[in-house]
Amino acid sequence: MIVFDRVGKRFDNHDAIRDISLTIDSGEMVFLTGHSGAGKSTFLRLLMLLERPTSGCLMVNHRDTSRVKRRAIGTYRRDFGIVFQDHQLLFDRTVFDNVALPLHIAGFEMRDVNRRVRAALDKVGLLQRERANPAVLSGGEQQRVGIARAVVARPKILIADEPTGNLDPQLSAEIMSLFEAFNQVGVMVVIASHDLALISRLRHRIITLNNGRLVGGGGHL
Amino acid sequence: MGDWSVAVGIYEGRNVPAGPGMNNARRVGVGPRHPIVRWVYHHRQAAADSLHKLVFEPISTLLTWMVLGIALALPATLLVLLSNVLALADTIDVPARFSLFLNELTTLEQASDIARRMEQRVDIAQVSVLDRVTALADFGVQTGLESLIESLDANPLPHTLLVEPAAHINASRMDELADALTNTPGVANVIFDTQWLARFETSLLLLQRLVIGLGLMMVIGAILILGNTLRLAIEARRAEIVVIKLIGGGDAFVRRPFLYMGLWCGVGGGALAIGLVIIFLSLLASPAATLLALYNSDWQLQGLSFIAALQLALVGGSLGLLSAWQATTIHLRRVEPK
Ligand SMILES: Nc1ncnc2c1ncn2[C@@H]1O[C@H](COP(=O)(O)OP(=O)(O)OP(=O)(O)O)[C@@H](O)[C@H]1O
Ligand SMILES: [Mg+2]
Repeated sequence: MIVFDRVGKRFDNHDAIRDISLTIDSGEMVFLTGHSGAGKSTFLRLLMLLERPTSGCLMVNHRDTSRVKRRAIGTYRRDFGIVFQDHQLLFDRTVFDNVALPLHIAGFEMRDVNRRVRAALDKVGLLQRERANPAVLSGGEQQRVGIARAVVARPKILIADEPTGNLDPQLSAEIMSLFEAFNQVGVMVVIASHDLALISRLRHRIITLNNGRLVGGGGHL
Repeated sequence: MGDWSVAVGIYEGRNVPAGPGMNNARRVGVGPRHPIVRWVYHHRQAAADSLHKLVFEPISTLLTWMVLGIALALPATLLVLLSNVLALADTIDVPARFSLFLNELTTLEQASDIARRMEQRVDIAQVSVLDRVTALADFGVQTGLESLIESLDANPLPHTLLVEPAAHINASRMDELADALTNTPGVANVIFDTQWLARFETSLLLLQRLVIGLGLMMVIGAILILGNTLRLAIEARRAEIVVIKLIGGGDAFVRRPFLYMGLWCGVGGGALAIGLVIIFLSLLASPAATLLALYNSDWQLQGLSFIAALQLALVGGSLGLLSAWQATTIHLRRVEPK
């Protein structure tokens, strides 16, 4: 469960997030939308502890994130699977090794790693490309490798920032249904997207930000 | 794209609501290792990984090893030579002998009396009396000035006592003895060059300090060079570090491969240094033996002992680890996800 309690984030003299209070339940799937610069990425970065709130309190799974020390950030982030708009894949290793990275960090057995990576790649339809270098894949394929990497270690929370940013509508819809599939098995999914046409067709809560303020979809608190 | 059952498969084993296609026969793995096992595994992984990376860049690895090897070999060689000099110095018998010129009026009997009394002292091994007639004759023979001496009206030499101090007396005890002898009644003049012993000991001390100072400078240089090598390695793997941090790799996980890289560079440098020192010393051995033979010594240059070689490799490894520690402390903090 994620609880924002009057959270604000101020950069220099600009408020990216202003006084946001909302709750996202475990097992819920929500979309985060708003104009460019509304604060969607900042919202997700706060969750990842890539930024710290400048005011208010952010609780994740009943834990005050301000208590998470620098040393513990790695462990904290392992509860999340993250899909980046720019993929953040490593081009010095194969697709397989990219997807296996979170498992190595978490310390899985080799046999276990193989099975999980294959299962994740199969899920995103890229099992045949496991030996390829991600650099030779198309944008959509790279995005799917990123999704496989995000889910391979079975995170409790899946976060995606513009996962369909530059994909065609057909592929975008497929990616979204992929996220829904993970949500079906109980994973909390938080997706930032400005593709209103696409996300309003899917029946999930839509949190709308405007200039850092919450203007729609705020949960109970 | 695949079906839902695989997504369920990925999440199988967790306490989640059953989705379509849920099938216990398709368990995917058993989950992460125990933390201690994981820790050991991560260390082995990081150690093997960084060794791999070094082996796959043989030229730059060899260059790093050479730099470290030379930086370690120079002070190590000097230390071995120093320990040789110290051991050699121990074997030198200090030909210490005081010459006591007595008062001109002292008779030969009185001289023998003084000699007997002196021999009671613990710091004196032996005292012999040299009477003035023999002394003058000896002097004539030694200098070849017999004819000149024969032309002398009177013997200018007094009776002389030759005092041999007890063995293994250090410079300060020697000074004490010299004082005591000077203050003995009947003694006019004491001749003894205690200074050369002091000079010798001071020179050794100076040499020792020089070796330590040079060694420290080389070692600090080595640490800085290796630190810079590691900074470049960190820079080259910036993207990887960022991604690892983003997906849950902690500081320790990110740091480990670089620490091992430092360790391997250091151990490799140490091993190279051992080789260099052995070559160096074998080049010096024969001229050193020849030189010492000219001084009537059959001393053989002692090479690098097995223990010392091990220590050198160990010092290399610790230096590597140390500079990796400082480099990662400084530079890894700056590589943060944007
Ligand atoms: N590190 C930073 N320093 C200063 N200002 C920042 C920083 N990060 C974000 N901002 C500002 O905060 C505001 C919100 O940025 P954010 O990236 O969260 O927007 P966004 O909703 O993700 O926009 P987009 O849809 O274009 O990705 C912007 O005005 C941005 O300029
Ligand atoms: Mg954004």
